[in-house]
Amino acid sequence: MTNNITDLSQVRRSVDQANGLPNAHYIDAGIFDEERHALLYGQWAGLAVAADVPEPGDAIPLSFLGMPLLLLRDKAGDVRVFQNICRHRGMILVEEPKKIRGAIRCPYHSWCYSTKGDLVSTPHVGGPGQNTHEAVERDELGLLEVRSHVWRDVIWVNLSGDAPAFEDAMADVIARWAEFDKPLYHGGADSRFTLEVNTNWKLAVENFCESYHLPWVHPGLNSYSRLEDHYNIESPDRYSGQGTMVYRQLKGENGELFTDFEDVGEKWNEQAEYIAIYPNVLLGVHRDHAFAIILEPQGTEKTVEHIHLYYATQDTDADLRATNTKMWKTVFEEDIFVVEGMQRGRHADLFDGGRFSPVMDSPTHCFHSWVAGQIETHRAKKRAAE
Amino acid sequence: MNEALHEAMLAAHEDHDSAALIRLYTQAADLANDVDAACFFLTHAYVFALEAGAPEVAALRARLVSHGREVPVHEEAARMLNQSITRPASASGGKTG
Repeated sequence: MTNNITDLSQVRRSVDQANGLPNAHYIDAGIFDEERHALLYGQWAGLAVAADVPEPGDAIPLSFLGMPLLLLRDKAGDVRVFQNICRHRGMILVEEPKKIRGAIRCPYHSWCYSTKGDLVSTPHVGGPGQNTHEAVERDELGLLEVRSHVWRDVIWVNLSGDAPAFEDAMADVIARWAEFDKPLYHGGADSRFTLEVNTNWKLAVENFCESYHLPWVHPGLNSYSRLEDHYNIESPDRYSGQGTMVYRQLKGENGELFTDFEDVGEKWNEQAEYIAIYPNVLLGVHRDHAFAIILEPQGTEKTVEHIHLYYATQDTDADLRATNTKMWKTVFEEDIFVVEGMQRGRHADLFDGGRFSPVMDSPTHCFHSWVAGQIETHRAKKRAAE
Repeated sequence: MNEALHEAMLAAHEDHDSAALIRLYTQAADLANDVDAACFFLTHAYVFALEAGAPEVAALRARLVSHGREVPVHEEAARMLNQSITRPASASGGKTG
């Protein structure tokens, strides 16, 4: 393990002169912990999707970078994220997905909370059968709520609590995809899958946001989506990705199509975009469907990709949906050997972070530059506090 | 508490049978010889009712309040506790906490 210090000066140079992030940013536990705060806790990070808790009362315990969280939909229908602990003794409140029918009861001493997080019962707190005590002010002891926001069905959380408001932080990408600001319908059980990948989460971002690899890793795309049909997308310090000018709709055996997002505009007839929103959410939009991938970092060299497909209408053709899921699963599985190979490559101690194609790799460099900038800011704050 | 009631309670705990827990702890409260013992059992009945979103919540709480063992629920909390889970989930939408 290093002392959390890596030289990032080369990373912040222009793409034609820069090196990629040093190996330690992929394999070192100390750096992983540093990035947990600098890149994930301090931003709006993807946690889950609202479709995970479709009905009021649905509750799911989650662990995000080791922090126990409770995702639920309250009785009014709003999605909320809490730290999954009782304010009494810090006991884990909910151990497995469940329906909260009334209140959330701590299994230890039975303190109870509403689905909005209010502490509503403190049994025996003043002695047997005495359920109040002046020292225990329920109003001050509600569940610890994490800032959250739902956009494109993704539940974004800001664990540090001090990021700019979501609408401000994401204003650029929200505006870019304003035409897709329509109701999204999760395709259901056959439209979600997870991939467990032996790689650092950042390599999944890096691979997603460039089109350079497409003809080599996804040869099936060559027939209609050639490399020259793609363009780079870069919004420094926010997101990067790629777009294509030749999206073709999936057609069923009898010519069935998915319904388009309403009034999405002519521009999107054959155009589609794929954007990595920093830190860990990968989104794709097409005229007739969309997807969201949430990268769950589970350690320096392990990432779980949670993939969800969405449509413009609630009812879609099941066969066509299954074909679409299979198609995307094939594509994302084709990427696994690449991100795992690059991960293993990070143990080659002479590797200097690599050099970028100034033309084809600029979205990747955009991400590296953001990572380096965030870490440098984090280190500067830490030094100032010492 | 008689042995049969005690055994029934253990079985209800084992089965996570909230309706039985509410009923049996209420029964134990009704059979108790003094107000402290009654409120002990009432507290358990109330907590299990609260957890289950059971209709007995209001009456059990009122009994505890009448003995000074719980505070009267204010209007907002009453609405919150009694609100039934009927509202359908929206497909997507925004909310910043």
